[in-house]
Amino acid sequence: MKASKTKKVLSLILASAMSLALLAGCGGTPASNSGSNPTPNTSGSTGTSPANDPAPLKEGKVFNIYAWNEEFKGFFEKYYKVPEGVTVNWIITPNTEGAYQDKLDAALMGQAGAADDDKVDMFLAEADYILKYTNNGATQDVTKLGVTDFSNTYPYTVQAASDENGVVKGVSFQCCPAGLIYRRSIAKDVLGTDDPAEVQAALSDWDKFNAVAEQAAAKGYLMTASEAATYRVFSNNVSAPWVDANNNLQIDASIQTWMKQAKDFSDKGYTLDCDIWSDECTAQMFADGKAMCYFGPAWYFNFSMGNAQDPDKGCSGDWAICEGPQAHFWGGTWLLAASGSDNPTMLADIMNTFINDEEVCSMLVEKEAQFSNNQAVNAKYANDPNFGNAFLGGQNDTAMFAEMAGNIKFENQTVYDQLLNEGLQANWREYCKGTVTEEQAMSNFYKYINEKYPRIVTP
Amino acid sequence: MDRPKKLSTPRRKSVSYAKWGYIFIAPFFITYAIFHLTPQVLTIYNSFFENYREGLTQIGPDFVGLKNYITLFTPDSNGSIDILKYTGNTVALWLGGAIPQIIIALLLAIFFTSTRLKIKGQAFFKAVIYMPNLIMASAFSMLFFTLFSNVGPVNQLIVQMGWSDHVIDFFAMKFTVRGLICLMNFLMWFGNTTILLMAGIMGIDQSLFEAAVMDGAKSIQVFFRVTLPLLMPILIYTVITALIGGLQMFDVPQVLTNGLGTPNRSSTTLIMYLNNYLGASKNYGMSGAISVIIFIITGALSLVVFKFLTKPQDG
Amino acid sequence: MTNKNLDEGRQARLMLAISRGVVYTILIFLTVLCLFSFYMLIINASRTNADLQGGFKFLPQGNFLTNLKNAWNDASINIPRGMLNSFFVASCTALLTTYFSALTAYGLHAYDFRLKKAAFTFIMAVMVIPKQVSAAGFVQLCYKFHLTNSYLPLILPSIAAPIVFFYMKQYMESTLPMEIIDAARVDGSNEFYTFNRIILPMLKPALAVQMIFSFVESWNNYFLPALLLDKAELKTVPIMIAQLRSADYSKFDLGKVYMFILLAILPVMVVYIFLSKSIIKGVTAGSVKG
Repeated sequence: MKASKTKKVLSLILASAMSLALLAGCGGTPASNSGSNPTPNTSGSTGTSPANDPAPLKEGKVFNIYAWNEEFKGFFEKYYKVPEGVTVNWIITPNTEGAYQDKLDAALMGQAGAADDDKVDMFLAEADYILKYTNNGATQDVTKLGVTDFSNTYPYTVQAASDENGVVKGVSFQCCPAGLIYRRSIAKDVLGTDDPAEVQAALSDWDKFNAVAEQAAAKGYLMTASEAATYRVFSNNVSAPWVDANNNLQIDASIQTWMKQAKDFSDKGYTLDCDIWSDECTAQMFADGKAMCYFGPAWYFNFSMGNAQDPDKGCSGDWAICEGPQAHFWGGTWLLAASGSDNPTMLADIMNTFINDEEVCSMLVEKEAQFSNNQAVNAKYANDPNFGNAFLGGQNDTAMFAEMAGNIKFENQTVYDQLLNEGLQANWREYCKGTVTEEQAMSNFYKYINEKYPRIVTP
Repeated sequence: MDRPKKLSTPRRKSVSYAKWGYIFIAPFFITYAIFHLTPQVLTIYNSFFENYREGLTQIGPDFVGLKNYITLFTPDSNGSIDILKYTGNTVALWLGGAIPQIIIALLLAIFFTSTRLKIKGQAFFKAVIYMPNLIMASAFSMLFFTLFSNVGPVNQLIVQMGWSDHVIDFFAMKFTVRGLICLMNFLMWFGNTTILLMAGIMGIDQSLFEAAVMDGAKSIQVFFRVTLPLLMPILIYTVITALIGGLQMFDVPQVLTNGLGTPNRSSTTLIMYLNNYLGASKNYGMSGAISVIIFIITGALSLVVFKFLTKPQDG
Repeated sequence: MTNKNLDEGRQARLMLAISRGVVYTILIFLTVLCLFSFYMLIINASRTNADLQGGFKFLPQGNFLTNLKNAWNDASINIPRGMLNSFFVASCTALLTTYFSALTAYGLHAYDFRLKKAAFTFIMAVMVIPKQVSAAGFVQLCYKFHLTNSYLPLILPSIAAPIVFFYMKQYMESTLPMEIIDAARVDGSNEFYTFNRIILPMLKPALAVQMIFSFVESWNNYFLPALLLDKAELKTVPIMIAQLRSADYSKFDLGKVYMFILLAILPVMVVYIFLSKSIIKGVTAGSVKG
């Protein structure tokens, strides 16, 4: 989308060449002309899928997909060829006020009694609440349906879609590795360099990060624009889940480190006390902003850093990305296989297409500004010297992400994570601001938990 | 009250018309029974059960007697009882918005209907005062949030004018958060109330005013002797529905404080509290119990208002 | 005419001028307050998504028509269709709720029967029950009876609206004495005829007021329709606005959201202005007494 025309043409030629080679290897149909509507490779590249057998056409005529927006619908309609005789039914409910999950939960809980054509076949979920659906019988083992080749996907995307016993319940069609996005000019002033490798060396662990924060403050800068900016990095790297085996709340050491850092940064003026989505936080992205570091994936700087891209007051090109103290990810959508689906073959076929079909994955990278969940495809673009992001001063972010994505973990997560993470940040902010004492902040956090999750035992 | 009336009307008439009463109220009660009764009875019923969801797993319903109510009234480690605190918050927020709302609405209704003042541009003013009510509460709160944020225009003005040397964090202070909520509720509802009262005043028989004026009554006397007593039923309606609406206040503080009732839960209302239980875990047990308590509080306060406002009329 | 009288006349005129001044000042102050939020909405509807991330601006920006075009052409929503759907649901709701509330109120106002007091007390009691919890039960009820993708569960329940009923009842109390009803009633005539042809016109201001309120409430209703309607051609305006808000990052456009919020107000404005003309003076006066 952002690439210039020449880049587009170049990568297109490259992609067509690749897909030609691939299809030739598989003995499939000839490649599509300019990739406007590639013929889906029904079996993935491995050929283990039962979709190869033409026999079982006893499957349902209606394929129901539950989603909260039309992002995947767009990709699906462009890149997936629906088997003849099957109608795809999109049940799209906005996630405002939790309506999407309410609607989906009602459907899943009524799945057993629903008519075949009304059954949920596939549904979409985000990492924040994916465990609510994978850790029980609402979803089924996709390896049994024929999705078996995960050699090209990033391990964390498979971990995220697996239940506690490691049974895989779905796949992600995108990967969202996140890094430390820094202002080049501020880095130069504080660290004497804006080179991603050197900046990374200066910020490669939290002690270094905290030390740099002090240097930045000494020069009148903010290390981050919100004390919650680093939260996700910590919460992605916990060594224990939010609750122990007896449902007792436990605050992981990693989270506690964040709590200390947040209060410390706030008291010393290294950061501001605000939400990461607030105007206050994003105002620091303007050219006259003082914040050195933001944390986020590709979509964050492409779509959520509008202030930095402002033609008059922004500072496009004055940014760069490095891995930062710890690997983490942010966002991404998973496709989950609903138990009781009457279209198991098609279900597996869709999943294989979006993780293993190189042509489709290439299209996602090239035409849809996605970082695909196929390492081989991403590597192709990572090594392309013409791939560079003007916003990041020409840095090839795909290369950076390809390098980082392998280090991401999805461990020690619980079904409570989303609300507990939000609740801690919000209640702790009041303490950082000084409007409540530490005890009050924690007491309010415990009340928040008790109201939302009666089973969790709080101190 | 019924008895003397019955005696005064011929028996034949009252018998023949009685069936019409039943016929006229039947659609209401039939619809009510089909659509509303079950869910509402379930609300009360559920308050005696443990009934919530853990992810997709349904816990209960298991009968627990008054346990949910006991939980609600159990003091926390600081010795304060949450539901009483939130009742206090709600009443404070309600009074802050409702008192100016009803007073201003009454004044405006009198202005607009006054034959003496003859306000020009009435159509314009009437349209304008109702406009805030047309914007969705969530959008309205979003606008206010940007307006009063630390980098918002209000703070820019405050600093530029030198009224304060640092920004004022409106969302960190109890007084300002509550003030904003009251202001927003006032803005959203005063037009609504004005229209209600105006319709009430206009429904009053014109000949009564004429008679009063002919008797030489001044406009203030006309208001207190004629308008107010005849408007009383509508005024009671206004106060009671403002009370019901106020005690069920939700979307403005919810959106403005991101559901947290900041600072330190001092703007958490009863329905926000209820919503916390309902959101993630669909806790029908606890939220049912809170509903019953809101029901009792509102019912009691409505009765007080009703008695208070009807008494002087009878005397 | 004596001097004293002249003085009193002048004084009265002065008093009137002063009170007019005060009244207009109050009105203008309130107008500014009310219009300001509306003005902010218009400003925001004229800004790009990126620009909106930069906080508040006082002057309109140049993106108004682009936002309008983008919102109108958004593939995931069909604005005219949504408006039509919302208009249909809101109109039906407004008509049913006002008619049946007036009917119920009249039933309890004009007739004496054994369960009268019990019926009134019952309605007053249920009026006070918070609706949040029972809304969830209502949704389950609709799922159970397969009432999804239908407007019926959004429209029909409004026949039983305690708050609207209460208003009608209070309005009748203040403006519809029994003598008027007795006079209106031709002995032996059909009571429905009396209600529809004679009583209802007298209630015009009250009907108009409640029609406006219930129309607006239904028009802005999001949660219930969002859970019950999933066919694209049935979706109402608030669902579509929420859908724009849930768009993925590459398509999310706050300018479009504000534009749609603004557009959504216009039809309600028209309905309001149209209906508020019915809030007129002294309907009761001439109709019966004369």
